[in-house]
Amino acid sequence: MKKLDLKKLKNMDVKKLARDFWYGKPHGERRLGELYEDKTGLYKHREWRGVKDTMYYFNNIWLYNYVMMVGDIMKFGGPVLFAKGLWRYRWLGQTYLPVLHWFDRGLEGLRGEALRASAWHYRAMVCVTINQFMNMFKADGNLRGGEHNDAWHHSIAHKETVWGGVFYPWMDKYTHIPLEMIPYFVTCHVNNHTVLNYIDAVQSIGLPGDPCPMCQAEAGLFVLDDMPDYAPFMVTSNEACDGSVASTAVQDWFMNVPLFAMPQPMQFDDPLVQEHCANEIRELWKFIEEQTGAPFNWELLKEYLEKQNELQRFEWEKWDVAANTSYYPINGVAQALYRIYQTQYGEHYIWHDTDKRVRKIMEKCVEQRINSFPLTRHRVIAWSCAPLYYSNWCTWAYNCWGLNTIINMDSLMFDMTIRTDNLDDTVMDMARYHEWAPMRRMAVGGMHHIFELWENMEKFHCDMVMMYDQLQCKGMQGVVGLFEDEFRARNIHAIWMPHALPDKRTVSRAEIRRIINDYMTTVMQEEPLDPSLLDFDDSESW
Amino acid sequence: MAKFFKILFKILLIAGAIYAALFAVFYFDLDGKLLFRKVEPLLAKHYDKMERRDPLSVMYEIGK
Repeated sequence: MKKLDLKKLKNMDVKKLARDFWYGKPHGERRLGELYEDKTGLYKHREWRGVKDTMYYFNNIWLYNYVMMVGDIMKFGGPVLFAKGLWRYRWLGQTYLPVLHWFDRGLEGLRGEALRASAWHYRAMVCVTINQFMNMFKADGNLRGGEHNDAWHHSIAHKETVWGGVFYPWMDKYTHIPLEMIPYFVTCHVNNHTVLNYIDAVQSIGLPGDPCPMCQAEAGLFVLDDMPDYAPFMVTSNEACDGSVASTAVQDWFMNVPLFAMPQPMQFDDPLVQEHCANEIRELWKFIEEQTGAPFNWELLKEYLEKQNELQRFEWEKWDVAANTSYYPINGVAQALYRIYQTQYGEHYIWHDTDKRVRKIMEKCVEQRINSFPLTRHRVIAWSCAPLYYSNWCTWAYNCWGLNTIINMDSLMFDMTIRTDNLDDTVMDMARYHEWAPMRRMAVGGMHHIFELWENMEKFHCDMVMMYDQLQCKGMQGVVGLFEDEFRARNIHAIWMPHALPDKRTVSRAEIRRIINDYMTTVMQEEPLDPSLLDFDDSESW
Repeated sequence: MAKFFKILFKILLIAGAIYAALFAVFYFDLDGKLLFRKVEPLLAKHYDKMERRDPLSVMYEIGK
């Protein structure tokens, strides 16, 4: 046991202690790295953020979200169904129980309005996630001894890279559920242990280790028989690249249900391919009519698209505040994950509830000129696709170095509203929207779009680029040299962040931090804001 | 009336104790520690042992 140091006790500044207790320590004195247990990343104790923010975190984030999670489970199918799914599927049991730790990692160090606004984004993602997996279980033949119920006959399965909007015309009677969004994509952010099982599984049947690990993991879910049997047919796409086509072949084999493939053009600027792409969507609608017997509903499509357009218009308002002021109250990871989730999945009531709350907070910040990230040294734009196992790197980077990630490439993808005045224009816009999917528009969608980085840097007033380097993405690997030339020619500070998307074994989180630390000390010659965050071992953490 | 206040006081006391206990769980990350050290290994063991269908035994039919 430690001996009481009387000298230290005598020299203690009681006033400062009281101030730190009441308001929390100022940024430079927090030493957040000392809160972690070695390796596991668990907290010796959670951060003390001052009385007001600690109690906000406890009541309105930690307790509130635990209660709301139970509420969502009750609302979307009940605890028995949830327990059955938990017992059957690894991705549920192993991943979604520690979800509050995902909040902790993303919201570390935040105070005031930024803590509130960012946490609402997380709450929305949790709600949609629970909604999706409960919908899967309601229809799941695996949980019913192979029997197919009414919910099974009213569900539509599709690859996560097929935008949910193409199913809006059937939303009154059918539920669309992406195949991999919950079993794969979200798991990597919440608990990166789970996905490794699926990557290893697909390699165990002979796939080499170097294709995109996203596609490997998506196929691995089927190899391990860890995918619910919830729909009578499926819709696939070649988004983001031909790796998805390969994983679709495995899915087609193992699901063994009628399949509609909806490929989208890689080089989508050519106006001739627009018509082709729109026809693909029309063909899909015919396929759904054949499979379900339910007719296409134009009024429903319009209604849902208009709701989705509302979300896009608010997103533009958010970007305006982020680009032109210091009062944007949403941190980098909340911005990135919420936006990609919302735009890819499509319309859901929780997005609107969340946006209403966030609007209030954002307007307060602008009106009262509240700067939620006052120690910003560099405004960062993150480009290309991010490491899923370390999406909260930007929280760390702000706390440690004052690197404030203002915007990222995935957020800027579906940058459009969709016309709803007549079907022809609507379909053309939907085709365009689909082509602007993550990892397509600005990653493998052509040189011009990859280099939209420069205009977005200017638009968002960023002075630094965090350049993701997905080591197993053959498309992006091909343009590394071009980017390096451009960075030099334009005299832009850019840090290359290597990673293997969901697989933390290739480049660890500690390695990513080391690369950023090296750049900040050697090139930028800056001192860390919180030196305790420079080097710590979180190799076993979620 | 005195009895009513006594019961009310007891309820408040119990609610206060529960609230304080929950705060301790939150502050010392006891939920995280329980899930990391006990629940996840237990569940992982269960999933590892589970009997699973071998999807490779299914014929790949094209043109269905």
